[in-house]
Amino acid sequence: MTRNAVKATDEAVEQGKDTKGTDTQGKDKSLARRDLFRAAGLGVGALGAVAAGVTAAGGTAEAAPAETTSTGYRETDHVRKVYEVSRF
Amino acid sequence: MSSAVDHTVPPAVAEEELFRAQVYALLARLLARAPDAAFLTALGDLAGEGGEFGAALDRLAEAARGSDPAAVEDEFTTLFIGVGGSERTPYGSFYLTGFLNEKPLAELRVDMARLGIARADGVTEPEDHIAALCEMMSGLIGGEFAPEDGDTVGLDGQRAFFDRHIGSWAGRFFADLETSPSARFYRAVGAVGRSFLAVEARAFDLAA
Repeated sequence: MTRNAVKATDEAVEQGKDTKGTDTQGKDKSLARRDLFRAAGLGVGALGAVAAGVTAAGGTAEAAPAETTSTGYRETDHVRKVYEVSRF
Repeated sequence: MSSAVDHTVPPAVAEEELFRAQVYALLARLLARAPDAAFLTALGDLAGEGGEFGAALDRLAEAARGSDPAAVEDEFTTLFIGVGGSERTPYGSFYLTGFLNEKPLAELRVDMARLGIARADGVTEPEDHIAALCEMMSGLIGGEFAPEDGDTVGLDGQRAFFDRHIGSWAGRFFADLETSPSARFYRAVGAVGRSFLAVEARAFDLAA
């Protein structure tokens, strides 16, 4: 039940780089993006109920990922919620 | 696995970017298999925050509250698996060429190799399945993959991937899902996906 469709390739994992999906562009552009997402109803926390609900409903350790990449990847609270939601 | 106990979000990763990753992960989860009872319950608690996307989330929550897990499972099978042909064929190659395993899949595989993404062990479905593509976008945003050339995958890279493999067809797929005769719960999923991709496309334009 924890099947993923994709994974990081081994070579990529070994390279171990600190990758981030961040905006490296101008500040104006990222602010414009932020405004757009907010206006469109993609506010941070709109999915909070799903993340919390899955946890409360028993989405326990069996659903948590033990694999995925080990480097260049930070398992923040947010990221763990993503995995809980998606049962990666 | 990291043993970090720091629960704060790294300031370098903006909150809305993480939220995008969450939405992609949610879509991937819903399109890979039917939600079980616990997940439906959690979905029922969703509350949108305005806008077309927020309204779609509200409808998804409503649909989840009114859905029986077994019925959703049957619906998923009819829509995507089916006996003697499913109602929808959620593969990029099929939408773009009318056939599975065509050139779009080959192009995707080239990009996946470059970006450090591989098909998971034991998965036999082609990689251009909508759930796999959403998973890839989620991972790209979260910095989960390490590209071959050593560069990080920033917005430019995300946009290129989106335009080549998702933007050209996934909106049509989600719209089709919304109007599928057998769809009930998944109509709401279609609306969430379609409205989210529309925002994504506009946001990429802003960043260009």
